[in-house]
Amino acid sequence: MSRLHPFTLLALAASLPLLAWILPAPGGALAPACVALLLAAAAGPRRVLLPALLTAAPFWLFLFILHGVTGMTAYGVRLTAMIASFVWLVAVLPPARLVEAMVAAGWGAPSAYLFAATLSAVPVLRQRARRIVEAQRCRGLSSRGSPAARFRALRALALPLVLSALHEVDERALALESRGLAAGHRRTPLAPPPDSPAQRSARWGLVLACVLALAWRLVWRG
Amino acid sequence: MARLSLDGVSYWYPAMERPALSDVTLTVAPGEVVALVGSVGAGGSTLLLVVAGLAPRVVGGRLTGDVKRDTEVAIVLPTPWTQVSGMAFTVWDEVAFGPANLGWPRERIAAAVDRSLARLDIAALAPRDPATLSGGELQRAILAGALAMEPRLLLLDEPTAELDPAGARACWRLVRALAREDGTSVVVATSDLDAVPELADRVVWMDRGRLRRAGSPAEVLADEALWREGPGGPAVARAWRAAGCPESGSVPLTVADAVGRLR
Repeated sequence: MSRLHPFTLLALAASLPLLAWILPAPGGALAPACVALLLAAAAGPRRVLLPALLTAAPFWLFLFILHGVTGMTAYGVRLTAMIASFVWLVAVLPPARLVEAMVAAGWGAPSAYLFAATLSAVPVLRQRARRIVEAQRCRGLSSRGSPAARFRALRALALPLVLSALHEVDERALALESRGLAAGHRRTPLAPPPDSPAQRSARWGLVLACVLALAWRLVWRG
Repeated sequence: MARLSLDGVSYWYPAMERPALSDVTLTVAPGEVVALVGSVGAGGSTLLLVVAGLAPRVVGGRLTGDVKRDTEVAIVLPTPWTQVSGMAFTVWDEVAFGPANLGWPRERIAAAVDRSLARLDIAALAPRDPATLSGGELQRAILAGALAMEPRLLLLDEPTAELDPAGARACWRLVRALAREDGTSVVVATSDLDAVPELADRVVWMDRGRLRRAGSPAEVLADEALWREGPGGPAVARAWRAAGCPESGSVPLTVADAVGRLR
């Protein structure tokens, strides 16, 4: 799956949540959500599917409190489709491949970098959070035990994480600027990912499916 | 014709009343190596950001005075892990990031990257994932990335901070070779005062944003004021002074010089 062209992966990850929101819930939204979960499972049950389910779980709880069982099911399925699609995309699409594909398609390097950076932010933040937790543990903070202790650990994690991320943004901006990212030249794609007519057709097929679903939904609701 | 000239340059960081640089005037000739020395907060790093055109354009703040560069500039910052592109599968791709951004043809990029990797002696790292490199290896990869952009003016901010002593010596040899063989001008902010006498053609002592003194290594590093109010000098000169060796007014700046005098 990760060998597919980045635009195909993007189209799939975007169309599944779109379809989940366009089609009536819970029946219609269930199919795209299941496909998203299947993709996540195929990419790695522990590495992709489990984090997606764990991320979605609190939303189900809040939805139950706010909307009851019916609302929870209707919105929960859609949110799960969104979350699973995004987590799957982050897992299977290296940002560097996306940048290469976007540059080869004529996008400017800064725009492509900015777009791809949203995908790379998750693993980078996760890695840094792990380092901060290790550092705090060395200084005696326990991230286990009672909910109160875990909350204290969360506070000790969140502040350095946010501050270090903000600081790094500054330095990274300087570094990227100095390495010619915003020099105004058209970036040379070093290894543009191969595309194929079949994948292009599949992408257009997904766009068409979303448009048709929207049209059908509008007519059906009308 | 100077490759870089600063005339009465002052710079204020955003929301700061006190300038980080005050009335700095400096020229750098082709093939010249200029070492910026000073205590922490002296303004060396800020000066490099101004010369690179990053301050105030990216950093913000306010600049007065005149900065003239007649050539391409590359800068290497002190923390290698914030300089990786995050968009490279291999070290080769990482080094090629800058040249690719400049829109060079692939053949030129490949030649420049291979040459830079060889100069930094890290060709063996080319297929490695940058995320798996040590701090020193990453620093060399970042330096290779800067060299691959073929700058005529190279700005280095504590480039040996992550390197072991052997790596640091290799880095300084490379700087000398770049200046001598390629005619590259290098401005380096460093606290490695032991390396400065053999590295630099000229030493600039910066103190609280001001250019306190500029001259040859022998002139600046032997200045009593530098020892009293600045960062001091090379370890061999410190040992010479502490031992009360003769000729205290003219201390040796390198080990070879000290050995020669003792013999």
